[in-house]
Amino acid sequence: MSDVPARREVEAAEIAALLERIQNGDREAFMTIIRLYQQKVFVMAYSILRDREDALDAVQETFLRLHQKAGLFRPGRSFQAWLLQMAKNISIDSYRRRRRKKQDWETSRPIEEIPIAVEDRGGDSAASDLRSAFSRSVETLAERQRMVFVMRHYNELPFSEISEAMRISIGTAKSLHFKAVQNLRKRLAPVLGMEP
Amino acid sequence: MAEHLDKCPECRTEAEAVERLLQETEAVRAEIRAAAAYVDWETLPGLIADRAMAASRKPERAPSRPWGWLLPLRMRPALAGLIAGLVVGAAAMYFVLRAPGARPGQDLGFHASQEFLDRAELEMARRNTLDYLEKSQYVLLDVFGSAGAGSATTAALRSGQTRDLLARKKYLNGQLERFQMSKAKAICDQIEMLFRELSEISEEMSAAEFERIRDFVEERQLLLKINLVRKELEREI
Repeated sequence: MSDVPARREVEAAEIAALLERIQNGDREAFMTIIRLYQQKVFVMAYSILRDREDALDAVQETFLRLHQKAGLFRPGRSFQAWLLQMAKNISIDSYRRRRRKKQDWETSRPIEEIPIAVEDRGGDSAASDLRSAFSRSVETLAERQRMVFVMRHYNELPFSEISEAMRISIGTAKSLHFKAVQNLRKRLAPVLGMEP
Repeated sequence: MAEHLDKCPECRTEAEAVERLLQETEAVRAEIRAAAAYVDWETLPGLIADRAMAASRKPERAPSRPWGWLLPLRMRPALAGLIAGLVVGAAAMYFVLRAPGARPGQDLGFHASQEFLDRAELEMARRNTLDYLEKSQYVLLDVFGSAGAGSATTAALRSGQTRDLLARKKYLNGQLERFQMSKAKAICDQIEMLFRELSEISEEMSAAEFERIRDFVEERQLLLKINLVRKELEREI
């Protein structure tokens, strides 16, 4: 356990150095950062947009914004959480734009009601039905519960990074996660054959 | 925790339910992995870096609208509404205030010296006096040009000309006094006295009354004096 902060400090120092080089126009440093985080950013974007092309656009947009705002990163906080927060905001904006283009009724809904897992990839099997029900249930969670759940289980982030990305305390992150699981358990009880 | 679950069937059931629920997240993760498997992660960093470098090389253009920074995009409709309101309000004010006529405190842009204004008023007084004398002379000639007391005289008196001239004399008095037109004032006063007497006598003027008035005019050489003052005023105008 004691070597974790030390390793993180080294990583933070490396990230800080890379960001400084990016500000000086170093292409290789920028590509290094992209290689390190592109898949994590993709998972975040995909879990919100549920479309590969849209998610890839969000990944590009996230790194382009990082290139512009590399100087705004504050040393001391988690770079990954900062980057994923950026990716989350870009993905939500992209989701809204996409919905607006389709003149979907959801455009008028507040952010709290934006479904994250929107796509129903239903099939014939019971497993597919369960997945659809699960996706719909995740959609109906409150915004903060949904984001914590997505970050925890899709991005597999620790609570410490979730709290940094969402700018909440670790205790709040855990509490939101607990509420999300409880709500999902209640809503999926009939499908899973459990008592509510 | 494991010990507690072994002992507590309720908590064990609950834990199993949550476990089954969270297993479903694996399906979503599998979906994400499948989507990610089709992405060329080797070339993507190069593509993004190219775009970023190209964007950073572009010269920063000045905003096409210098006021564009004032409001974020979502506030533009509010700004447009505000500007439209101001334009409509200004147009309404323009149409209301451009109505003819001077308004209190309005500067008409005309300036004149007090001397000029005095001269203009003196000129007006002379013209008014001249007009008064001219009309009075016509009335007197009308009265005394008739054969004597009769229908013509009564008609002239009834015409209201004398009453009109008496009213005008009241207005003229102020001008005559202000500009010290003593000679004109004296003759105008005599005419006024005469017209007052004419207006007070009965419609059927007797021959005696007619003679008395004619004597008054001739004795004072009223018509001659009117002519003289008129000529004097005409010269001054």
